[in-house]
Amino acid sequence: MTISGFIVRNAFRNKRRLALTVLSVAVSLFLFTTLQTALHLMTNPPTSDQSALRIVTRHRVSLANVLPEKYQLRIERLPGVQYCSKFTWFGGIYKDPSFSNFGQFAVDADRIFKIFPEMVVAPQEEADFIKEKSSCVVGGKLMERFGWKIGDKVTLLGSIWPCNPELTIRGVYHAHNVDETIMFFHHDYFNELMNDRGLVGTFWIKAASAEVIPDLIARIDAAFRNTDAETKTETERSFQLTFISMLGNVKLFLGAISTVIVFTMLLVTASTMSMAIRERAREMAILKALGFNGLDVFGLILAESFGLAMTGGLIGCFGTKYLFAHVDIYKLSHGNIPLFPVSGDTLALGLVVAAVLGLVSSLAPAYTSIKMSVVEGLQELD
Amino acid sequence: MVQIRDLTKVYGHGEIEVVALDHVGLDIAAGEFLALMGPSGSGKSTLLHILAGIDRPTSGQCLVQGTNVAELSETDLADWRNTHVGFVFQTFNLIPVLTAFENVELPLLLTALSAGERREHVTAALELVGLADRMKHLPRQLSGGQEQRVAIARALVTDPTLLVADEPTGNLDAHAAADVLGLLQRLNQEAAKTVIMVTHDPKAAAYARRIVHLEKGELLNEEGQTQRNLSMGFAK
Ligand SMILES: Nc1ncnc2c1ncn2[C@@H]1O[C@H](COP(=O)(O)OP(=O)(O)OP(=O)(O)O)[C@@H](O)[C@H]1O
Ligand SMILES: [Mg+2]
Repeated sequence: MTISGFIVRNAFRNKRRLALTVLSVAVSLFLFTTLQTALHLMTNPPTSDQSALRIVTRHRVSLANVLPEKYQLRIERLPGVQYCSKFTWFGGIYKDPSFSNFGQFAVDADRIFKIFPEMVVAPQEEADFIKEKSSCVVGGKLMERFGWKIGDKVTLLGSIWPCNPELTIRGVYHAHNVDETIMFFHHDYFNELMNDRGLVGTFWIKAASAEVIPDLIARIDAAFRNTDAETKTETERSFQLTFISMLGNVKLFLGAISTVIVFTMLLVTASTMSMAIRERAREMAILKALGFNGLDVFGLILAESFGLAMTGGLIGCFGTKYLFAHVDIYKLSHGNIPLFPVSGDTLALGLVVAAVLGLVSSLAPAYTSIKMSVVEGLQELD
Repeated sequence: MVQIRDLTKVYGHGEIEVVALDHVGLDIAAGEFLALMGPSGSGKSTLLHILAGIDRPTSGQCLVQGTNVAELSETDLADWRNTHVGFVFQTFNLIPVLTAFENVELPLLLTALSAGERREHVTAALELVGLADRMKHLPRQLSGGQEQRVAIARALVTDPTLLVADEPTGNLDAHAAADVLGLLQRLNQEAAKTVIMVTHDPKAAAYARRIVHLEKGELLNEEGQTQRNLSMGFAK
């Protein structure tokens, strides 16, 4: 036998209690990492090398105000602009209104996938899409959700705009760690249905390099200053964060729940460890009589408590990772959550929480058993 | 081997002060088998605890092989116990989740011995107490007498200077008690172990080579007088 063997034997003394404690740590860490992932998704929209090159121009007053389509020509002439696409949120209803919350955007068919190269469409499908005015391209997960096939006809009922596009699916895009639940259709077609009024929600621009972005933002907004529709241009990241800032209270709420979970977990493991060591007061005294010193005893208790918390932590953290990797969160959430990637950082944070938990839980029982004299300990009843 | 001088232990203070040991003096030579006898509450266990280094005296000295045990730090004292003292308790005190072999091995985990060397020592100790065939048994699978013999193997596996036993037969029937006492006697006679045993059973004490009596914290001489009575007698 080795010291570690002895620690394992001690941990397995009361198997039911061990299982329950490990399980409660695991479940708590599952909740913790899930909440942290949600929090992370809210505060850090997914970014990539590509997203760092994109900027968005919208009406200075609000997203609900529209811009004239002729702005596109002026934007495209500015140095540093590689591509620019009209990008208008359609927000239509497909079949049942409670059933159809997916993003639909009217865009420039020939540029949209150049601006979003992380969304991959087969070249032939992209060509078909560009050719046919009333066609659309749909994300892979959305196809799956509605059981669509290429060539299917989809009619959207406008709820913001007074028109009902009748679209034919000509392509599917796939993406890794990017929303796969969007539908893109022709802005020209949208404009036609809207009697050529030339209204655009936003312009999405891909810059030639990251360096030109600050300058470009300033130039775009300067170009439309003192017009009827002044613009506000910002990076993709800051554009997305404007949605998120509306969620401030939710963030606070999630943060508070996470803290409560960690704290509760601490109480559970600390009390389990105290109980486990308390029952063994007499054995601790025997170990000391045999020559184990205070540090040895602390080591035994710490290792047991650390092992317990880390086992629960590993099960909880990797369980979360495994679960969200294998469960179709998009389907389960009825289309509300397109992606739920549990990041390495979140897992690491969860494991650090577990480690701290193991350490802190061992302190009180270790202190008690170190302080108790051998003679006192020997007088304890079993 | 052991020199005890003026050893006093007082529990509590003020009104509820209890003098457990009152200026006790005692010499124990190497290779002795000493029985400490006396009525309940006379301070036998207290004396044994102090000379085994698990309790500290209020005043006085206890030298074991020249070391003043009371002066060691907690950590040094733990080390000292590991190398110099083997304990046998009334209630056996084996670790319930460890087998007989592992219980005996426990004190060796603190030494620099390799796993192979530990195995040799443990096997030899268990053979000495006649339980080589019970190595893999858990304490609850052993009889009381067997448990106590495992405890004795655990006490002697480190080859300690002192073997101390507090009522080692207190929880055993006559037959098992005779086994355990015979074993202690053999360890004393054949392996030259110094054994100090607390008991209030005269039959158990009969296995020892020397018997000392404690009463109310004081040591009695052969005539049954305490040292203080004696000095008062001289004064008259
Ligand atoms: N922790 C303590 N606090 C206060 N008094 C104590 C403590 N331990 C022992 N005593 C007292 O010291 C005296 C000697 O106790 P000790 O345990 O040495 O007696 P003993 O001779 O071993 O008795 P027994 O045969 O019953 O085991 C007793 O009066 C006891 O009540
Ligand atoms: Mg006693």
